Amino acid sequence: MSWGVVLGAIGFWLAAWALNAWLAQRTPKGAAARRAQRLVVPAIFGLSLLVLWEGITRGANVPTVLLPPPSMIGERFAASTGILWADFKQTFLQAVLIGYALGCGSAFLVAIAIDRSPFLQRGLLPVGNLISALPIIGIAPIMVMWFGFDWPSKAAVVVVMTFFPTLVNTVQGLQAAETMQRDLMHTYAASYWQTLFKLRLPAAAPFIFNALKICSTLALIGAIVAEFFGTPIVGMGFRISTGVGRMDIDLVWAEIAVAAVAGSAFYGVVVLIERAVTFWHPSVRGQRD
Amino acid sequence: MRRMIATALAGAMALATAQASAAEKVTLQLKWVTQAQFAGYYVAQDQGFYADEGLEVEIKPGGPDIAPAQVLAGGGADVVLDWMPSALATREKGVMLVNIAQPFKSSGMMLTCRKETGIKGPEDFRGKTLGVWFYGNEYPFLSWMSQLGIPTDGSEGGVTVLKQGFNVDPLLQKQADCVSTMTYNEYWQIIDAGLSADELVVFKYQDQGVATLEDGIYVLEDALKDPAFEDRMVRFVRASMRGWKWAEENPDAAADIVLENDMTGAQTQKHQRRMMGEIAKLTAGSNGALDPADYQRTVDTLMKGGSDPVITSAPEGAWTHVITDKAL
Repeated sequence: MSWGVVLGAIGFWLAAWALNAWLAQRTPKGAAARRAQRLVVPAIFGLSLLVLWEGITRGANVPTVLLPPPSMIGERFAASTGILWADFKQTFLQAVLIGYALGCGSAFLVAIAIDRSPFLQRGLLPVGNLISALPIIGIAPIMVMWFGFDWPSKAAVVVVMTFFPTLVNTVQGLQAAETMQRDLMHTYAASYWQTLFKLRLPAAAPFIFNALKICSTLALIGAIVAEFFGTPIVGMGFRISTGVGRMDIDLVWAEIAVAAVAGSAFYGVVVLIERAVTFWHPSVRGQRD
Repeated sequence: MRRMIATALAGAMALATAQASAAEKVTLQLKWVTQAQFAGYYVAQDQGFYADEGLEVEIKPGGPDIAPAQVLAGGGADVVLDWMPSALATREKGVMLVNIAQPFKSSGMMLTCRKETGIKGPEDFRGKTLGVWFYGNEYPFLSWMSQLGIPTDGSEGGVTVLKQGFNVDPLLQKQADCVSTMTYNEYWQIIDAGLSADELVVFKYQDQGVATLEDGIYVLEDALKDPAFEDRMVRFVRASMRGWKWAEENPDAAADIVLENDMTGAQTQKHQRRMMGEIAKLTAGSNGALDPADYQRTVDTLMKGGSDPVITSAPEGAWTHVITDKAL
């Protein structure tokens, strides 16, 4: 038990906190300085958390099979980039992206069909609700039996998970265009499809992107958890579950770090696309410097 | 004078028995769900062998994704059952497990393949898909493949490995050419599912010379330094081995005892009695003491793993006869 290390880590964390509090209160003048402030504050926070973690695990001699220090995780990360990349390709590039595209795409099309037909609306929404309520732990083994061990069964689980949120949000969004605006299109003798593409879909965009943002995290969770139930021996979920069984906890954390970065990056990309498409929305206009 | 001494002695003995009648608690973590694989312990509990030794044993069933070594490391149990490869690998990672008894003499692990895949011998595995359990159970398989020189990472001339769930669906659904089975459990699940023995080809690890020791009793090295704990373990092992020998002699009754203790209701009498019959074959020949020759064979098998050995150096102090010497 090395008190010096633990106290040093706590001291660093408190100092970083004080620095952040001071920085957050300043209002720098230039646009570049403001951007720097927005980046530096979270960076200092993140760094201080890592130092605190390292200090406590090393100083208090926490067993590494329970919680490894970040430096050990970093070392293992650097040593296993091959494995981590293969897992990322298997899970993210195949199961997550393809499942996400299929799930959100099919939900979008079904929402448009529902919009056309009130009969479908009354029938399909409750069924969609039921499907989304099925627990992944129950569907995953069934999907593995239907679609095999490889990534298609994981993509199927992702489709089931992302279908309902996208469906509900798109149906809601399609009703967002106001009556006045729809009447205006009617006076221009616009057909259903013209109204849809020029008015109603752009008006629905904020809702649709809301769903896409939620589904981006759901997709990653779904793919990783689905991999606990039968995989070829590659994949993020596989590595995490078997790593825990083998007491390779530093590899598990390295895999978690990859999942966290991938999930955040995915979410970030969807947000950037949203900003570009819904440039007219007050929430986006107000954020411009 | 003599009467005074006699009374004093009687008083002292009464005090002693009063103290001993407060049973000491021991928590045992099983390797899998309640089944005849652990009949010895359930019999010892049911027939009062533990109570005779002054112990109150809580038996915690295991299950999918419960690694006994982790439960021990996390303090969830005093003593666990584990397979030796997993225990030695965990020991290398810093959790110091020590084998104090070895009820299972032989290995029941085997690879079961469909005959129609054309597999006749281990060399035919190349290019096929094999189902393997993980969570500590993959070590014997990886060791065997490494010794045969068959890569498992998907490269040329190797096998495709599937992380098999704890069922035999991959074989039944033809998603895998072979699956890992135990002689006492999954093999019979395949037979019950409708396949007959002549549609299957089995490879017993014991016959292939790559068998590793299975169910053994493990505790943490540090815990053994406490003399009270050591004494509890001596009594525990003695009663457990009594339970095992009773189970070997009365397999059907033992199976029924296990069935009574099955909280999930998922086990059937037919399956458990069959399992007990098979388990009795694996425990036969062991009185509980670990045979150092068997231990060495297991270590050699694990270290012959070529480029990817399960353990990298011969373990020191991974087993002890201290408990079995006093217990048996």
